[in-house]
Amino acid sequence: MHPPLIRIDGATAPSEARRTLERAGAATSLRALPAAPVLTEHPELWAGLYLRDAQPSTLEQLAAVCAGRFTPRVSLAAPDGLLLEVKGSLHLFAGVAGLTRALANECLRLEMQPVLAFAPTPLAALVAARARKPLVVMELAQLTGKLAPLPLAALRWPAETLARLSSMGVRTIGAALRLPRAGFAQRFGAAQLTMLDVLTGRAREVRAVFQLRERFRRRRELGCELTNRDWLLAALTPLLAELETFLIARDCGVMELECQLLHRQRRATRCLLQLAAPASDAAHLGALLAERLGTLNLPEPVRALEVRADTLFPRTPLTHSLWQAGEQGGGGTSAEAGVLLERLRARLGSGAVHGLCELQEHRPESAWGRTAPPPLAAAPTPAAAPGGAAGEAAVRRPLWLLKMPEPLAARAGMPRRRGGALHLVSELERIESGWWDAGEIERDYYTALDIHGVRLWVYRERHAPHGWFLHGVFG
Amino acid sequence: MAADANLARLLEHPAIWRGRNAAPPAVLPSGFAALDEQLPGNGWPRTGLIEILVPRFGSGELYLMLPALGALSRALGARWCVWVAPPLVPFAPALSAAGFRLDRLAVVEAGPRALWAFEQTLGSGACDASLAWARRPQPRDIRRLQLAAERGRTLGVLFRPRRAAREASAAVLRLTLEPLGSGVRVSLLKVRGAARGAVELSRPGGWPF
Repeated sequence: MHPPLIRIDGATAPSEARRTLERAGAATSLRALPAAPVLTEHPELWAGLYLRDAQPSTLEQLAAVCAGRFTPRVSLAAPDGLLLEVKGSLHLFAGVAGLTRALANECLRLEMQPVLAFAPTPLAALVAARARKPLVVMELAQLTGKLAPLPLAALRWPAETLARLSSMGVRTIGAALRLPRAGFAQRFGAAQLTMLDVLTGRAREVRAVFQLRERFRRRRELGCELTNRDWLLAALTPLLAELETFLIARDCGVMELECQLLHRQRRATRCLLQLAAPASDAAHLGALLAERLGTLNLPEPVRALEVRADTLFPRTPLTHSLWQAGEQGGGGTSAEAGVLLERLRARLGSGAVHGLCELQEHRPESAWGRTAPPPLAAAPTPAAAPGGAAGEAAVRRPLWLLKMPEPLAARAGMPRRRGGALHLVSELERIESGWWDAGEIERDYYTALDIHGVRLWVYRERHAPHGWFLHGVFG
Repeated sequence: MAADANLARLLEHPAIWRGRNAAPPAVLPSGFAALDEQLPGNGWPRTGLIEILVPRFGSGELYLMLPALGALSRALGARWCVWVAPPLVPFAPALSAAGFRLDRLAVVEAGPRALWAFEQTLGSGACDASLAWARRPQPRDIRRLQLAAERGRTLGVLFRPRRAAREASAAVLRLTLEPLGSGVRVSLLKVRGAARGAVELSRPGGWPF
C-alpha cells in the first residue's frame, strides 16, 4: 500500500520540500507532478468509510469487493479507512441513499459496521467518517461550512500539535481554517497546512489506487479415491489446462505452484513446486508435478485435488538464438538451464543444486562456500588467465577437500594409511589462523604420497598431541 | 615428386569426393600434447560419453580433465559444468587457480539418484560438460547416457573403478589411468576411429605435479 502523495507547490525549493515530506513522516520520494486541473473542472464525489478495529485482511477483502462491485477507483487509507470515488456510479445505485444502503449491506456481510460520509475531496470524506458524522456534501462550495464543526482530532495530527492548538482554544476544523496561514506553517508545521488545503480542495491530492490481487484456485472432487500416481496426474491435467488459459489471458506466469491432495481423515498433503522462471505451459508444469508426486508418499487414498497459484508474474517471452549450443560459440539459452534446474530440484529437493565460491581465508575448511546455482547465462566478462605469484600458492592446494579431517595412524612419527607409510614429498606449509573466533588452527601441511601413488594433503597439529590428519586429495 | 603433386592437384577437383574425407568431429584439446597425439582428431571428443577407469580415487583423473574443462568454462557463451554426486568436496580455491571459472560450476547432491541426475544434465542441452562418479551403472545405462550426451551436445565424463574395464560399454572413449612414480600412465581401451594405445605423461612437461 503506497502512502498518499502530498503535493508541494512548484515554487518550493527541493530541500524545503524534502523537509516537508520528512516532517509528514511519509517514506516517499520527491516526484514532480504536473500541475493538476482545479477540482471544479472535474467534480468528484468520494465516499469515505471508517471501520473501527478492522483487520488489514478484512480491509483488503472489502476493498476487493468494492472494487468489483461499485467503482474501479478504490483507495486504502490504512489502518481503518477506505475511500471510493463514486461520482460515476451514483446513477447506477439510485443516488447517495441507494449507494449507502448497498455499501452498508456489503460491510454487514463481512461483519463490519462502517461510518459513511460523502464529500468532493477524499480527505474530507475520510475525516468526516472518522469524526462519526455521516455527512453528504455534494458541492465544493458547501464543504468548508459542513467541515467546520468537526473536531481536529479526526485529522490525526501529532498529539503535541493538537495540545498546543487546544491550549489556544482551537478545537474544531473551522477554527483552524480561520487562523492566519502565514504563521500557521511556521508554528504548527507546513505538512499540517498542506493537509488543511487538501481538505478544503485548495490543493489536489492524488491517491494510490488499490490493485486487485488475482490468484488461481480450483478444486476438483474425484469420482473415486485414487492412490495410483499416473491416475492422479491424469486427474490433474484438466486443472493445469485451466491454469494455462487463465495465465495466457493475463499474459502472466507462475513461479510457485501448490497442489493439495485431500484425504478423508488425514490432513491434506501439500506438494509445492518452485520454478526458476515464470512458466505457464501445462505440459511443463505437469512433468514437474509428476516428478514431485513420485517422491511423495500418500498416507491415504486421495479424494479431491486443489491447485493454487497465488502470485502471478509477468511472462518473459522465450528467445531463441541462431546458433545451437556448442556450435560456433553459441551458448545455450537460459531457458534450458532453468528447465534443468527445476527438474533436478523437483526430484532431489530444493537444496540439491548449488554453486561454489572462494572465500578469503587462510583456514582451508573456511576458504570455500556454497552459493546459489550459477547464473543461467554466462556473463560476458573475460576471466583472467591463471598463474602469477599468487597462483603458485594456490596451485599447491588439493582439488578435493574432506568434510572433516580424518585422523591417521602414526608409527615412528610418520603417518600411515591403508597399510603403508606415507611419504612426504613437499616442504611444510605452516597455517596458523583463526585466533579471533573459536576456530583457531595451528597446522603444518605436507603433500604426501601413499603406497599406491595417490597424492594426499596431510597435516600435523602443532600443539600436543601432534596428531596427523588427512585433509585433502589431489587429483 | 611431380607425380604426387599432379595426383594431389587432381584430387583437389571439387567434383571428386573421397570417402575418407568425412567432416572431422569437433574436438577439445586435452592440454597434454602427448595425449593429444594418441586421440582421434587430436583431442577429447566434444560431445559424447568418456569413461575414465581408475584403480582408486585420487589417481590423477581430475587433473587429466581439468585443462579441457577450464577451457570450456572460459569460452564465450559457456554453458554449465555440472558435477553430479562428487565423493568429496570440490575445493574452490584450487579450481579457480587452475583456471576454472567458478561461476559456471554447479554441484548436484544426488545421492542414490546420481545416474538419473547425470542423464538429465547430459540430455538437457544446458551443460557443456558433466562429471559423475557412479557406483555400478549397467551397460544399458551407459548406452542411455551416451545417447543423452549426443542429444544435449554435452561432454559427459564418468569415473568408474578399474575393474569395470572387463565390461562392454557404449561410451565413445574409454581409458584407464595409473599413477606412476613420476607421473601417470594413460591406456586407451576404446577409441573410435583410432588404434588402442598407451601414453605416459610425466614431469616436468606433462603432469602438473
